[in-house]
Amino acid sequence: MEGWLTRIATNTCLNLIRTASRRPELVTAELSEDETEWLERKVTEGSSGHQHNVEDRVVAADLAERLLEGLSPEDRLALTMIDGEQASVSDVAEMTGWSESKVKVRAFRARKKAREALEKLLGRKSQ
Amino acid sequence: MRDNHITEMLDSKPFASLSETELATIRTHVAGCASCSQAYDAAQISALLIKERADEAVENSLNANPFFQTRVMAAWRERQEQSVSALRRLWNATGALVTTMAATTAALAVLTFVAPSSDTTSQTTAALVPYSAESVVLDQNDNDQVTDDQVLSAIYSDDDEGR
Repeated sequence: MEGWLTRIATNTCLNLIRTASRRPELVTAELSEDETEWLERKVTEGSSGHQHNVEDRVVAADLAERLLEGLSPEDRLALTMIDGEQASVSDVAEMTGWSESKVKVRAFRARKKAREALEKLLGRKSQ
Repeated sequence: MRDNHITEMLDSKPFASLSETELATIRTHVAGCASCSQAYDAAQISALLIKERADEAVENSLNANPFFQTRVMAAWRERQEQSVSALRRLWNATGALVTTMAATTAALAVLTFVAPSSDTTSQTTAALVPYSAESVVLDQNDNDQVTDDQVLSAIYSDDDEGR
């Protein structure tokens, strides 16, 4: 029963995101001053560690949201659950009704897209 | 090397799940490859951003309004009622037509299946009656047949009477 409800909720949310999403590309020009500064700091300082500063956390969450907007709802779900919430591939498969290989492919693709989007930002920034 | 080695390692699993050996391999490669270095930075930042977002989502859910569940359930019930009323509206619009069609179908079914069966009963009763046309013509009783002698006597008796 719980699994069934979870699957329905997941699919409903995916449909909502699918209808609402525009998937714009994240470009440097759209970044706020805080976001640009945050990115620069992360590149120079290194990205390890939790954000203790509330402002930093807000900036990071906003940037993450914009980064995820560039992904398809399915890729976004896989990435958020596996990389963000440390869910296992089988958990995501059970929750979405996808096969485990599909979950892996989605997560791989999402990581690649997110990394490439950030690479573009970092490349443009350094130019 | 870059396209089919380091980036694939970076994308194959969550950054936090990379083992020490894998990280050492990546760092060694990154030291001599500028483009991979950028990919490594991007992967690290991407992992951090996603983790931050997930943590914030968890915190938000902990600080969520205690009436959240009540509101969700109320919204769900409202949606269900809407779907039920939509069905009712559909029935109001098409109910008469559907009923007429159902009645017509039932009448046709009666005419198709019940009426021919009454014909067969009449055939059955006809078959039970012993005096059918065939039985009259073909099943004539042997007792009714006249013998040759009787025929001859009947013919010649008239002649005899004439004389």
